[in-house]
Amino acid sequence: MDPLLIARLQFATTTSIHFLFVVVTLGLVTLLVGLQTAGFVTGKPVYERLTRFWGQLYVINYVLGIATGIVMEFQFGLNWSGLSRYVGNVFGAPLAIETLVAFFLESTFLGMWIFGWHRLRRGVHLALLWGVALTAYASAFWIMVANAWLQHPVGYEVRDGVAHLTDFGALLTNPTLGFAFGHVVSAGLVTGGVLMAAVSAWHLLRRTPDFLLFRKSLRLGLVTAALAVTTLQGFGFAQFGPVGELQPTKFGGGADRDALVAEWTAKFGPGDYTPPVLSSVGLGFMILIGFTLGCVWLLLPLLWRDWIIRWKFPLWLVLLGVPLPFVAVILGWIAREVGRQPWVAYGLLPTGQAVSPVSAGLMLTSLIVFTLLLGTLAVTNWVLLARHAARGAHDPALGRPPTPDTDHHPDPVFA
Amino acid sequence: MELAWYALLGLFFATYLVLGGYDYGVGLLLARGATPQARRATLNAVGPFFLGNEVWLVAAVGILFGAFPTLEGELLSGLYPAVLGALIGVVLVTAGVQLRSRPRAGAARTGWDRVVVAGSVLAALGWGALLGGLLQGVPLSGDGHVAGVGHLLTPFVAAAALALLALVAVQGATFLTLRLPAADVPSVARLARGLVPVALAAVAAATVLGLLSDRVRAAVGRPAVAVLLPLALVAALLVARAALRRGRAGVAFAATSVALALPVPLVGAALWPRVLVSTTDPAASLTVADAAASGPTLALLGWLALPLVPALLGFQAMCWWVFRGRTDGRAPVYW
Repeated sequence: MDPLLIARLQFATTTSIHFLFVVVTLGLVTLLVGLQTAGFVTGKPVYERLTRFWGQLYVINYVLGIATGIVMEFQFGLNWSGLSRYVGNVFGAPLAIETLVAFFLESTFLGMWIFGWHRLRRGVHLALLWGVALTAYASAFWIMVANAWLQHPVGYEVRDGVAHLTDFGALLTNPTLGFAFGHVVSAGLVTGGVLMAAVSAWHLLRRTPDFLLFRKSLRLGLVTAALAVTTLQGFGFAQFGPVGELQPTKFGGGADRDALVAEWTAKFGPGDYTPPVLSSVGLGFMILIGFTLGCVWLLLPLLWRDWIIRWKFPLWLVLLGVPLPFVAVILGWIAREVGRQPWVAYGLLPTGQAVSPVSAGLMLTSLIVFTLLLGTLAVTNWVLLARHAARGAHDPALGRPPTPDTDHHPDPVFA
Repeated sequence: MELAWYALLGLFFATYLVLGGYDYGVGLLLARGATPQARRATLNAVGPFFLGNEVWLVAAVGILFGAFPTLEGELLSGLYPAVLGALIGVVLVTAGVQLRSRPRAGAARTGWDRVVVAGSVLAALGWGALLGGLLQGVPLSGDGHVAGVGHLLTPFVAAAALALLALVAVQGATFLTLRLPAADVPSVARLARGLVPVALAAVAAATVLGLLSDRVRAAVGRPAVAVLLPLALVAALLVARAALRRGRAGVAFAATSVALALPVPLVGAALWPRVLVSTTDPAASLTVADAAASGPTLALLGWLALPLVPALLGFQAMCWWVFRGRTDGRAPVYW
């Protein structure tokens, strides 16, 4: 097999699994900040219970986000050493900033937040969650800066075949950055909102004891999803303009594309400079899902007098909607990433030049090992998430008041 | 400028080995066959620090990518099997520790504990092999790429991997003498003392094999520094053993931490000014200056790191301070 194809498959697999967990992280952490802040301000116990329940799901989900994130980071060097060799001077900077500003602090804060219940002052504990959320957004931002540069390289000059940084500001004002970042953040909020609403709907359908608690999180989830789906669609369609202009090969035909292909053929030699059809087909489906998710607005009037809960069938609709945002985010990434083939950095570095000169056998081993490992962990993680979601908010392990030995229940002794 | 970034890279990787070292050491000790309660207690002794420890690796690789892009590509792809092993280990430990207590069934938790043990072994062996691989040089050709991966299969690399595994085990046991409730300390202190001779033997074996290896002798530019490494390791381990015998857990942990941190600066210094030494073509060796990013990138990252690194260290220190002292019945339990 071709090492290039294997390396691309591995990147696609790892990124997809990573993103399925990252969108949930981004969405849930925002909702958690709202819940814990509400609890801090109002002092109502229901908010602390909500924070513990959703916080536990957030923390379980985060495990795979970090595990796949570490693999992603190493993969650049393992499989794509040409990327660091030719464009590392520019592309490496936002990635380095992301690890230092965001990833490092996010995990440090989260460790303290998990173990800080009942130990830290409430204000400090809340501040830690704000820190987790802000660094999560910073992380998304810097990763998008790096990705936007690959979509549309700016602020550099090539000397001796290697790109050097000339204008860092240009990376931040990259026309492929702003709308895409808004789009990704909105996607996170939609996913988090739909997930929260669906888990609550399940409990309300099953008539589990915590009616008031899940009624509250159902409403919060639906309103968040509705607001975010509107910005999601806005940022999505807004991208067609700049992307169509800067990447004429992405969405198919036109005179611009032919001119660019002719230019590349002159510069890099003849070759196939059109992306696989796969990317644009996926884009169509994603847009359909986006419109379907937009129907969440129709459910909002039913929140009045709890009709949504009394009628029951809207709850089933919410429950059935869970897979939609996940399918959509994967299709969206395929459109963005596969759509820039055959380039790693659009018009600057062909994918074939970036792949590491490693033997196909070794790369295949790596692909199989990591696909099996991360795939198994992802499925296990979803099973655990589903079980904890089903278990309800009775007594999550997160934030449980400390006792001498939490799991050990000694048999009663009759003297 | 390059030297400052090289030092910062070394600082982050060495700190990762010290902090991640006790994560993996504690992970290894789950294999002792203790009771479920005891296993959970040891993991929660690492508890609040766990997530903050492994991100030192993430930051080290971030610095590697930002400040030394050429090195990043060649180091990771040139030592592919070692990095692959370490990475699988890191992923297994990360997932295992955080998920092991989510199922309620004892059997599932025991299963996850085995995952943590396996991951800890792989991670320690992988990083040891990486350091060993650096010391014996790589077949770097004139076009700047490392050819093949068979060069890693030497007795010296195997011994270096085992030596790091032994050091990590000592580090884990010593960390537990510092964190577990006072009543549990004597047994782990005994275990830590018993592991010190094993680590000494592993370090001695790696030293002998290194001295016998033509490639190591050829690659090391400063033999005096390289010889200092095993001597310093032996001294640190002996200090740790003596401190453990006297019940000075803090001193012992400081000594084992030094033993895990030292390999990074000393390997760097022994190879200086080169970082990837070519075994096939001396002229093809990669120096630190060649590997570094160009001036504007380093300047940009430098202005950013100036306020940022103290902030990172400050928040980590806050974590250590807030959760200082021994765990007791009132400490939060989550892992």
